[in-house]
Amino acid sequence: MERFVQVIVDGWATGSLYAALAVAVVLIYRSTGIVNFAQGELAMFSTFIAWGLIEAGVPLALALLGTLALSFAGGMLIERVIIRPVEGGEVLTLVIVTLGLYILVNSLAGWIWGFGNRSFPGLFGDSQLDVAGVGIPVESIGIVAVLIGVVGLLFAVFQRTKIGLAMRAVSLNPDSSRLVGISVGRTLMIGWGIAALVGALAGVLLAPRLFLDVNLMGGVLIYSFAAATLGGFDSPFGAVLGGWIIGIAENLAGTYVDFIGNDLKILVPLVAIVVVLLFRPTGLFGSPEVARA
Amino acid sequence: MSLLEVSDLEAGYGPVTVLRGVSFSVDEGRIVTVLGPNGAGKTTTLRAVSGMIRRSGSVRFDGKDVSRYTPEKMARQSVAHVPEGRGTFTGLTVEENLRVGAYPRRDKDVAADMQRCFGHFPRLQERRSQHAGSLSGGEQQMLAIARALMLRPRLMLLDEPSLGLAPKLTRELFSILEKIAREEGVTLLLVEQNANLVLKFADDAHVLEAGRIVLSGTAEEIKADEGIRRSYLGV
Repeated sequence: MERFVQVIVDGWATGSLYAALAVAVVLIYRSTGIVNFAQGELAMFSTFIAWGLIEAGVPLALALLGTLALSFAGGMLIERVIIRPVEGGEVLTLVIVTLGLYILVNSLAGWIWGFGNRSFPGLFGDSQLDVAGVGIPVESIGIVAVLIGVVGLLFAVFQRTKIGLAMRAVSLNPDSSRLVGISVGRTLMIGWGIAALVGALAGVLLAPRLFLDVNLMGGVLIYSFAAATLGGFDSPFGAVLGGWIIGIAENLAGTYVDFIGNDLKILVPLVAIVVVLLFRPTGLFGSPEVARA
Repeated sequence: MSLLEVSDLEAGYGPVTVLRGVSFSVDEGRIVTVLGPNGAGKTTTLRAVSGMIRRSGSVRFDGKDVSRYTPEKMARQSVAHVPEGRGTFTGLTVEENLRVGAYPRRDKDVAADMQRCFGHFPRLQERRSQHAGSLSGGEQQMLAIARALMLRPRLMLLDEPSLGLAPKLTRELFSILEKIAREEGVTLLLVEQNANLVLKFADDAHVLEAGRIVLSGTAEEIKADEGIRRSYLGV
């Protein structure tokens, strides 16, 4: 029984990492209407910036704040320079552009920092809480707390502020948004900035658990897409819950289903994506497209 | 002086030119309609005025040259455009649609204006927390107009508000529009296919054919024109 609970707790901790990146993916989707395949790479790049700052002797807290600010600015810059020219074009064009961005950012990071791996300092230490024989890493609790805080804050921004309303309006109908006086370009820039910032946060939370190298996010991205699909692509809360479910399911399957073991764990997110798309395309919390003829 | 003055307006889509030198003016406080057959360029005229498509020629609003303004800048000049197909934000609630409509405003009267809109369109108040996508066609048209009102427009551009609505609903909608124009002093420029109906309540009319204005005058004059009677009014 203790082992079972431990497997769930570990899965939940891993799932929180998937959730962090999934939230960034969902954010871009909600505020710009496109799925950004480069989200993971941008997060990796941000993490390298944080690592570089820390290596250069900048205090941890300051390095993190600096990274978040740089990521926000970088996200806005990418929207302005790379995405803006194809804005309002075919979905396929945008997808290809974000795939190109994926390769670009990945190679750029390799060129700057090399392809070796590095260790990244943990933000919450290595200690564990022992609850009735089940070990809960303090780090996991910290990650979940940060995640919930971020999602709560984002929810408030989307639902309660003028800029949040403008972001939702722009993703739904850019033409009408212009007609009510919203500056669509500027709104999209802010959306990309926020998503890059959340991605950076995901990166620095994740990196201590893995090794920091240019493929930091390669493996995580597929889990995050599964989490976002399961939760409903436009719901940050759904993305968090989806990440937890995927993480726990993955760990349970790896531990208790013999033929899956550690090697076939990657099947879990893939199966989840297929099943969700087949039976509930809007995910658990996604809003279906409501339209009446 | 006219509120809106359009001269030698040329506009189109890609290589296709639709408007070939359109000139007309709209006086403040009037209800003005642009009539014409399918493909004459009615929708294009509105889109060119609000800056949604590339254009050349001159557009002056309230004496100011706005020929190069983007749609968002036109909206901030208090020109509200209710586009073809209504352009409601289907994934937002009725109330959120109205709040988006007031986006450029900085004042604190938004809530009061929302109440005023609900006064014109009580149906919207009943449905204020529903998603706009779940409204009927008529309700969506009301929402589109209410959203435009939230801008506190001086000039409202309406693209075929009667499209797809039952005759009774269309008459209701037009009487509300008339009330808005007369009581709140909003100038209306609307494009319509239904000439019979719109000439009953418009003050002035311009007839557009193949990208040019072929006739302008008061609604009475246009109604009396023999050619118009034959082509548009079917009498």
